Amino acid sequence: MTRILAAAGIALLLVAPLLTGNTFYQHLMIMVLFSTLLGTSWNLLGGFAGQVSFGHAAFLGVGAYTTMLFYLKLNLSPWLGMLAGGGLGALFALPIGLICFRLRGPYFSLATLAVAEIVRLVALNWEQLTNGPVGLLITTLPQISIAGRAIDWESKIPFYYLVATLAVLAMTLIYAVSRSRFGAYLAAVREDIDSAEAVGIDSVRVRVLALALSAFVAGVAGGFYALYFRYIDPDAVFAISLSVEMVFIAVVGGLATTAGPIVGAVVLVSVAEVFRERFAAGHLIFYGLFMMLVIRYLPEGIWGRLRLLFRFAQG
Amino acid sequence: MEIFLQSVVSGVLTGSLYAMIAIGLTIVFGVMRIINLAHGEMVMLGMFGAYWSYVLWGLDPFVSVVLWSPLMFAGGMLAYRFLLKDVIPKGELNTLLYTAGLSLFIANLALFFWTGDYRTLNLPYALMPARPFGIAVPIALAIAFGMAIALTAALYVLLSRTDLGRAIRATAQDPQSAALMGVNVQQISMITFGLGTALAGAAGVLLVPSLYLYPTVGEILIVKCFVIVVLGGLGSVPGAIAGGILLGLVESLGAVYVSVAYKDTIGFVLFLLVLLFRPAGLFGVGRT
Amino acid sequence: MPHILKLLAAVSFSLALSSGALAQDTLKIGAPQPMTGPDAPFGDKFLKAYSMAVDEINSQGGVNGRKIEVIIEDHQAKNPLAATVAEKLITQQQVLVLTGGRASGQAVEIASVAQRLKTPYMVDHPSADIVTAKGFEWVFRNNPTGSIYPEAFNKFISDVPGAMPKSAAIVYDNTVFGKTIANSAMTFLKSKNVAIVNDEAYPVNSLDFKPIMTKVKASNPDYVLMVAVSTTDAILMTRHAKEIGLTPRAFVGFGGGFGVVDFSKQLGPLAENVFSSAAWSGNPNEPITKEFYAKFKAKYGFLPKEHEVEGYSAIYIIADALKRAKLTGNLDADREAVRQALLKTDMTTVFGKVKFGNWTGPLGDQYTNQNIYSPEHSVLAQWKNGELLNVWPKSNAETAYTFPGS
Repeated sequence: MTRILAAAGIALLLVAPLLTGNTFYQHLMIMVLFSTLLGTSWNLLGGFAGQVSFGHAAFLGVGAYTTMLFYLKLNLSPWLGMLAGGGLGALFALPIGLICFRLRGPYFSLATLAVAEIVRLVALNWEQLTNGPVGLLITTLPQISIAGRAIDWESKIPFYYLVATLAVLAMTLIYAVSRSRFGAYLAAVREDIDSAEAVGIDSVRVRVLALALSAFVAGVAGGFYALYFRYIDPDAVFAISLSVEMVFIAVVGGLATTAGPIVGAVVLVSVAEVFRERFAAGHLIFYGLFMMLVIRYLPEGIWGRLRLLFRFAQG
Repeated sequence: MEIFLQSVVSGVLTGSLYAMIAIGLTIVFGVMRIINLAHGEMVMLGMFGAYWSYVLWGLDPFVSVVLWSPLMFAGGMLAYRFLLKDVIPKGELNTLLYTAGLSLFIANLALFFWTGDYRTLNLPYALMPARPFGIAVPIALAIAFGMAIALTAALYVLLSRTDLGRAIRATAQDPQSAALMGVNVQQISMITFGLGTALAGAAGVLLVPSLYLYPTVGEILIVKCFVIVVLGGLGSVPGAIAGGILLGLVESLGAVYVSVAYKDTIGFVLFLLVLLFRPAGLFGVGRT
Repeated sequence: MPHILKLLAAVSFSLALSSGALAQDTLKIGAPQPMTGPDAPFGDKFLKAYSMAVDEINSQGGVNGRKIEVIIEDHQAKNPLAATVAEKLITQQQVLVLTGGRASGQAVEIASVAQRLKTPYMVDHPSADIVTAKGFEWVFRNNPTGSIYPEAFNKFISDVPGAMPKSAAIVYDNTVFGKTIANSAMTFLKSKNVAIVNDEAYPVNSLDFKPIMTKVKASNPDYVLMVAVSTTDAILMTRHAKEIGLTPRAFVGFGGGFGVVDFSKQLGPLAENVFSSAAWSGNPNEPITKEFYAKFKAKYGFLPKEHEVEGYSAIYIIADALKRAKLTGNLDADREAVRQALLKTDMTTVFGKVKFGNWTGPLGDQYTNQNIYSPEHSVLAQWKNGELLNVWPKSNAETAYTFPGS
């Protein structure tokens, strides 16, 4: 069943942008896939490993700035830049993990929040490196050719396929993790750290690895953000609201599920757009209400609930 | 020397402001283990209450606090009963996100009805500060400081000397044992949440003559709250007060003697250090 | 009552008139603005200004017989959203030209989108130099850049005898707005050998300025210069400065927060004699500007300032270009035609004269399509009795300045 869904999903993904000539809809699709990437990143640490982080924007921001700076100052190709962004994000996560994983529960969450804010303030003030509040702007993307044809960066299509590939790769990673022994360790740690340690699992190492993978994905997503939006400043990429949004995508979709984030992303992006259209002045009122209703009635997430219903239907 | 004294006085007074806001958050966390992200909005509602009662009925906020506290208490209890009660069993993360949605909802509802215009409440008798020994002491802030102390003392008496207070503390320590001892945990939770909301509202009322108000002011306040609550120890009221004053001092002295640009960073670094090395708070009175 | 009207106005402005015959006839102007979130009050100012201009133009026959319409989209003061709604306006609503933006971060995103999607963007208010300093030929700006804001102040201290500060403390917010203006002011002061005794960048939306002002007081500066993009910062900063007992020869505010009516409403007597450099809102001694102020006040109940004048003028500039552009119905060609028309703009609005050109700014930025009259569009004003009155240069002055020793 899952394989059929996955295959159908990938097929849809491949043709989606070609179904419409409307660049705005293509943009929305890109936003959905970008949000999926964010949700997947967070889900790895928060859903599978049970470590609720409120500072994931830090890794996204690190990735974004890395990619931007490598491109603008060192002329490094954006592909490599994104990888570098992911890599630096992961590297950055190591000391953070070692520090924060000494804490549990809400203390851990608050610590991640503090870390993200510190990173934001440093980015804001360390002008020699980040250009401070003025931010960094890309005016032209490099001439890159694939299979002999130059990429037209003015069109949304290359960005779509780029983010779609990233999203699929990330989801595959999660799927692989969930099926592996590592995934079992994560589940054990999520349920009860002490019991996990008691059976010989090195919970710190397991969590740090999960964090590093999660940060890698977030960093790569940050790199994509930089290339797609072409402008970053500390308040855009290190914002608390971005961290909270990442959590929300994963939770609304369904924690600890592979497909949860994409469902969450689709729902949230559409809802935000529809509310902005129909309610103009008061749209955030309805968005807040929507958040409350989903959490109240679908705490296992939309996809989580669908899965339960499937299982129920199958008997 | 004068600079140092002025920094200290400013820091302590501003810190007490912060502390007032944080007390409500820490109580709710202590008893119910929930981090209420809508806390800032409750402060905002208190601020608007004080503002409207001043503008429409001429009530001085230091008087209208007596009106708004019980109203917010009732409001908080209703919010618990009809909104939070069914969400809490779904887990800490879900509850937290629920309050995030609530925060968005309340702030934007307020924005819609009251517009985003910045307002201040200027008390005619508090325009210029008092200057004992040449140190500027803003009057409204000093009065708020005094009333905050009174409120905290009252809270202390409630928590330590009354049966209700004992029940609250018992629930905070261990809800299951408390239930076994005959405490109606649901009811206590409801009362605690009402109390937390009332304290937030009262803080808003006392604050408004010294600050400013607009519907989304909550988002700035809430982050400061977290820092204080952790510094002082999650769940501890005296800890929140001490934490608030400490933060006020650190920011004030930090701005003057270290760097203005990084003054917020200092607070966060301190926050992290406390979390790591003294998770029960600087004074060791918080829950771990 | 007003809330419902506002909701209706906002809804009618932001829903695309995609069905019905009207769509073919109206000339569409897109305007991303913050309609919700902390910047909402500013979005509202532009809504009022745009509507007034649109109503006037349409009631006088529109542009070449066709009505114009402004479609406002809410970007909530978030950069990625600004990019999103700009794209939406360009591709979904198919507007001919963009304006608005409000804050610099969002404006940069919108400019980037406009440049790539080849749609003219006539900037009305955002001041970040970078918006017209990147060589974007599709982006035009009527209002002065941040680095130009201190011009009038610079002229004042140079021209008025005894006004050159002996020392200056400068306190500014850690945003692109604050830093640019502070930089520009300090560069000028340094060139005149004025000692900068404090250079403090504070985090925007601070709750407490007493520590900063304590520090400043210790250096005993001759002038205290304050930059605040946020109204709350401007108000609190001034109040705390006075509470701490700072008594420089002059308090000079730069930027948004110091030029809005809330500043004096909330501070009362504490606002008296505070200078404000940059809050250019047209020359009040010009008849058309005076007439606009009266009309606006009659309709909305308060005097228009910077934002309202800029928004109103922007629509007139765009309408002027639309009138001269040969529109054929082919969207791409029409946008290019509007761009060409904008390049040839040479007119006077209630804001002032406007002609777009390429020149170098005070901090060395190379501008493209920046209003060549911008250096004139900086004025030094002073708060007197709750009113913000221009005091320098003399040609724009509404009243004499109040200054110790003058």
